[in-house]
Amino acid sequence: MRYTSESVEQLVEEFAQLPGIGKKTAQRLALFILKLPREKVVTFAQALINIKDKVRYCSICSNITESDPCYICSSPKRTRGIICVVEEPRDVMAIEKTNEFHGLYHVLGGALSPLDNIGPEDLKVKELLARITDDIEEIILAMNPNVEGEATTIYLSRLLKPLSVKVTRIARGLPIGGDLEFADEATLSRALEGRIAL
Amino acid sequence: MKIVRAQLRQFRNHDCTELDFGMTTNALLGDNGHGKTNILEALSFLCLTKSFYASSDAIVLQQGKDFFELRGTLLSDVGVEHDVRIVYESQTNHKKVFIDGKEPATFSSVIGQFPIVVLSPENSNITFGTPSDRRRFMDLVVAQSSRVYVEDVLEYRKALRQRNKILSDISRNGGSSALLEPWNETLVLHGSKVLLKRVRFFEEFAPYIMRAYAAIAHELETPQVEYVPNVETAPHDSPDVVGERFKAKLEEKKRDELRIGSTLVGPHRDEVAFSLNGLQLRAYASQGQHKTFLVALKVAEFFYLKERCAETPVVLLDDVFTELDGTRSQKLIALIESLGQTFITTTSEHVFHETIHWDDGRRRFTIHNGAAVQHDHEAAA
Repeated sequence: MRYTSESVEQLVEEFAQLPGIGKKTAQRLALFILKLPREKVVTFAQALINIKDKVRYCSICSNITESDPCYICSSPKRTRGIICVVEEPRDVMAIEKTNEFHGLYHVLGGALSPLDNIGPEDLKVKELLARITDDIEEIILAMNPNVEGEATTIYLSRLLKPLSVKVTRIARGLPIGGDLEFADEATLSRALEGRIAL
Repeated sequence: MKIVRAQLRQFRNHDCTELDFGMTTNALLGDNGHGKTNILEALSFLCLTKSFYASSDAIVLQQGKDFFELRGTLLSDVGVEHDVRIVYESQTNHKKVFIDGKEPATFSSVIGQFPIVVLSPENSNITFGTPSDRRRFMDLVVAQSSRVYVEDVLEYRKALRQRNKILSDISRNGGSSALLEPWNETLVLHGSKVLLKRVRFFEEFAPYIMRAYAAIAHELETPQVEYVPNVETAPHDSPDVVGERFKAKLEEKKRDELRIGSTLVGPHRDEVAFSLNGLQLRAYASQGQHKTFLVALKVAEFFYLKERCAETPVVLLDDVFTELDGTRSQKLIALIESLGQTFITTTSEHVFHETIHWDDGRRRFTIHNGAAVQHDHEAAA
């Protein structure tokens, strides 16, 4: 045993299993917890248990939620005619932070990747198609700008177009606030390809 | 660009080797198996973040050690010094690159910043070997001159692997070929860009070869290089036009692809054709012509990169003079020495012309048992 306490050792091991956490960080975190007041630790532990017990997937958009349907799907303030399709719940969080999008979401749960054995049936594609009614005006495809995201975009656009609904994809280009000269070459060349007429 | 200094720690047979280089010619002398090529390999790491030779980082680690470290001081043409440091740890199989203390976003973003041209015995594959040997040569030249190309090729390879997985699944277990559709488009999208870049590259590169060959060859011969794509592509085609042809070709080969279980159309199966006076090099050229052609390719690469990167490449010549006759060797040394910094490994000092004057710019090192000794009288100069 490397530690004088079995409990500390166990906690270090648990922390070390988290993504991005190495042995040393795990050790620092464990010792930090040890110094916290008991009630703080109880709140922390309860938060961990809560996300397992209370969080589930929205039956409409497949985003993570505690109430079903989720607060976005059930909000009367959202524009119900626009659905933004994303890969993961964290993408919803990112778009929500902009405060610019007031439509609904659909979380696929990943992107097509044959090498990882992820095909259309492993994503929430059927659920998306079931949501397309006459009231839906536009579907925005907001996949990640990589090969898998691209293939997923192409796949979905093929499926959606016959349903006579407007299908768009988010633009890719330069980060705001950055100067042109600081953009990496690949981003800049994509931005050039995606140029628009004025 | 010049390499001013390099330090190797636990890299192949070099436990702790430090070298202060001359600004023109650096001769690395010594018997075989003492670590001359390892120094060139270390220089390749410093410039490209990888070896021109070994397939993995772990291979170059000294036996029984848990890390290697390389440090280099690189001087750009405009006179700015860059400190490059590379550390590899075997336990995590993790390599870290620091340029002036900062980690670059990706390793591929470093390629082209410090251009190098390597000529080593393995390079004879470029003229003698398979199409994939020639594509590898071409990719490294284009990659060093265009960072966007590196990204395009990486994305193309990713799309290709994904598509091949579906094809091999279908060929083995059956299934619907509809799953291929989105990957066809992704493949075509990136493949067309790769195709166009390569075709345009060869259009630009051809005159460089002509000039380089004329400078080295004894005979009056005309060399040709041509990219032979399996999807028809001309330099001035638009990506959309190439994409349409690519798609049509995929459709045409669909049945074969489903049967074989892999992608048969695209730039990963293209050939680069070399010829002399209209005759295919692989089939008709003599040994001597092969060698001259290879050296011409490398000299052309040097001039092409020099113009494209606006930075003079460093030239690494690994044991090339056993392959070339005396006149050709000295022509090459004279040609390259007049242009930039060269690192030459050889077992015999006789390859250098006897009138060569070793001074501060031209240095000799003897490499023995993983240690380097600079020849005394030059160090004092």
